Amino acid sequence: MKATINLAKGYMQRPRPGISAALLLAAALLASALTGCATWHAPDKFDDRQLRVRAESATVRDVKLSAAVLSAEESRRIFGADVNGAGIQPVWVEVENSTSHTLWLLRAGTDPDYFSPLEVAWSFHTPLAGERNAALDAHFDELALQNPIPPRTTRAGVIFATPHHQTRLLNVDLLGQRRLIPFTLFLPVPDEDEPEDGKVVQIMARHARSQGPDYRDLEALRAALQDAPCCAGSADNGPGGDPVNVVLVGEIADLAAALVRRGFRAQMSESDREQQLFGRAPDVVVRKVSQGGAPAFWLRVWLAPFRYHGQAVLLGQAARPVGGRFAATAPEARELHPDVDEARNLFIQDMMYSGGLASLGFVTGVGARQADQSAGVGYFTDGLRAVMFLVTRPLTLSDLQLLDWVPLLRDRTADAVKENRHAKP
Amino acid sequence: MTSIAKFSLALIGALILTVAGGCATVDAPADRTVVDFKGRAVSQRDGNVRVSTSVLSAEESRELYGFPLAENGIQPVWIEVENGDELAYWLLSLGLDPNFFPASEVADLYARDGPGAAEIEQRFRQLAWRNPVPPGATVSGVVLTNLDEGVKLVQLDLVADGRMKTFALFNFIPGFRADFASKETRLADLYPADAIIDYATDDKLRTALEQLPCCVTNKSGSRDGDPLNLVIIGSVQDAFPALVRRGWRPTEQTWFGSVTKMMSSALFGERYRYAPVSPLYLYGRPQDLAMQKARDNIHQRNHLRLWRAPMLYRGKQVWVGQISRDIGSRLTIHSPYLTTHKIDPDVDEARSALTEDMAYSQNLSAIGLVGGVGAAPKSAPRGNLTTDPYYTDGLRVVLIFDVRPTSLADIDVLPWEGRQGGFVEQSVKRTAQ
Repeated sequence: MKATINLAKGYMQRPRPGISAALLLAAALLASALTGCATWHAPDKFDDRQLRVRAESATVRDVKLSAAVLSAEESRRIFGADVNGAGIQPVWVEVENSTSHTLWLLRAGTDPDYFSPLEVAWSFHTPLAGERNAALDAHFDELALQNPIPPRTTRAGVIFATPHHQTRLLNVDLLGQRRLIPFTLFLPVPDEDEPEDGKVVQIMARHARSQGPDYRDLEALRAALQDAPCCAGSADNGPGGDPVNVVLVGEIADLAAALVRRGFRAQMSESDREQQLFGRAPDVVVRKVSQGGAPAFWLRVWLAPFRYHGQAVLLGQAARPVGGRFAATAPEARELHPDVDEARNLFIQDMMYSGGLASLGFVTGVGARQADQSAGVGYFTDGLRAVMFLVTRPLTLSDLQLLDWVPLLRDRTADAVKENRHAKP
Repeated sequence: MTSIAKFSLALIGALILTVAGGCATVDAPADRTVVDFKGRAVSQRDGNVRVSTSVLSAEESRELYGFPLAENGIQPVWIEVENGDELAYWLLSLGLDPNFFPASEVADLYARDGPGAAEIEQRFRQLAWRNPVPPGATVSGVVLTNLDEGVKLVQLDLVADGRMKTFALFNFIPGFRADFASKETRLADLYPADAIIDYATDDKLRTALEQLPCCVTNKSGSRDGDPLNLVIIGSVQDAFPALVRRGWRPTEQTWFGSVTKMMSSALFGERYRYAPVSPLYLYGRPQDLAMQKARDNIHQRNHLRLWRAPMLYRGKQVWVGQISRDIGSRLTIHSPYLTTHKIDPDVDEARSALTEDMAYSQNLSAIGLVGGVGAAPKSAPRGNLTTDPYYTDGLRVVLIFDVRPTSLADIDVLPWEGRQGGFVEQSVKRTAQ
């Protein structure tokens, strides 16, 4: 079958056969979008042994989760259609529920924009092929993951997700009666040339072999974070890197889960590699793609050479490109937007809604720079870096603790009290 | 050529003109004294915190910013917070609109390195909302959201150290039809006070919900349409903020202009947030509120329609409704509005998707399933009013919201359908078949 449909972008629809002149007209208009006539035949039964060999898995509280991203070739064999070519990334998931509870896999947490099986099947329908379309629907439905997962039962199936590149940080939240069992897996994405760096598994390995100090005292951590470099250097060890304005503290899996729940995807580009900290390019880069697909926001992180209560400390650059959603330039040309505090504060909000943020504080260390001083370095900032502590246990917004470190906007706060900040212009 | 075809041709012609129209020219910002949006601000108080909001019309945002923000699908929301508490609060812009526009992003759109770029950026920055709201202070500013038409549900999450306050305010936007304004007035006295039953126990509520009609109908009530598979228990302070936080928006009433825009959207795949939602009937009236969650474009959006039911559950409002997943727009001769949506025949999937979505909303406190829809197996699907086939296990989901946030690990699954395994029992049987 030819990949004529970009479902993720929804370019086209299939009109029903001519009923009225208007419909024919519409059909004619859309005919240009149809470049091939699709036929579909039920594929042979799929042997999932190979899939199981390369699947990643984890066990939490008597539940074993295994998962793998399907390659385009596997998709064609399983579905009989070029699902990947339609802008969908099928993820095979198996849940072995050894608990005595019924569990529900929350697909909205795995991918807020996931596709339903019949939605995907429908995009491969052909006009005037009722029986074949029905068979296609049935096939997709059967292969999709079925909720719920009863006690002492194993269920396997596919989630039709939006594409992630290089590594898929797979977040799976299993909901039961007043309980949640969360998982984070790092799945390689087949069919893509993986870069040597940028893999989440590498940052985990780096953390495991890290020999740096392990701070047990919050004040010691605070001091270390204040003394961390203000900003990255360029690849040739010169100045000119972006500011290091966020810090994430927690288990790497929890940090990743929070990012995935909020729609971030791992993706490193050449321009990211130019930022150097501790003598190396970022360990991981995640991006949040806005509706419409424009690059909207990035976070580059480096594992710090110290821990906090054994947990990972990630130093990061939260920023967004000039132009954002309205930019017409190619995604590779990403110029730092000078208002980096705005991006930092937006990222804090994302973490607040992730259900993983336990506490938040601010430390100095970036170096304040007024808007009229941004020439040469390309940014202005109040000089603070946001420090966020993330946990596994899901939290609500009212659980957030604010650390009494540097008050955000101390000077502006004083002004605001005095003037009631532009409340009555 | 039929009149419909002529209409289509005229429409396409008009669209080409619009596309070829070129860039808009922009006047310098007008004197801000003419901007009177604050005059119609709506306010709400919770303890020592008072919030006021006003949504700017296209004309007002042009006056305030000097640029036609509405033409780019951007709608400024003016917010003022008076903090009488002893703690500083943070306003979360992402709660207002998960896809809101940072001020600098919109400034970029108009500045583009032209003359006066620095002034434009400064203007957007000055007008933008800035956190935090210190104790004892009053702070105001603008959050730039995606354009809503007619009515906007402004949802404010204010977070402090170990504390949270949520406000939800309906704002009417000048320049659109005021259907919703009249509708809200009507909603308030929809039922005489003695006609509303307040259920105090789960079992009585459950029985009442099971006895609701299976489906929506057409206007005359002669034909059944989509299944009534959704019950929302809560109100403007908990259920609606939860929906908005996850990207659901009230829709504009269906009217001809909206249908025109929708046709163009269906033909050209542009993203248009306001597809009309055609009326379906329950209690002898069209839906009281229709909401949709836009995905990439009009081809992919989920819809729900709600009717206020003459019942309460422990004092909370009960809304009955219908949810379906759009899997593509198509032309149909069965809807007088010409353009409608192809729905996912597995309507239970849409019901589950909403339930999962709401689990992440912070305000969902309990989930249950009750009967009343009547099962329609895959082998013998039923049809809705536009002859889209659907099949279902016959259950409706009941989502109970609470003002107090509930974490994912504390959501209560009510033991309704199937006593043993709770609500999932039925679904287990279904998938086993």
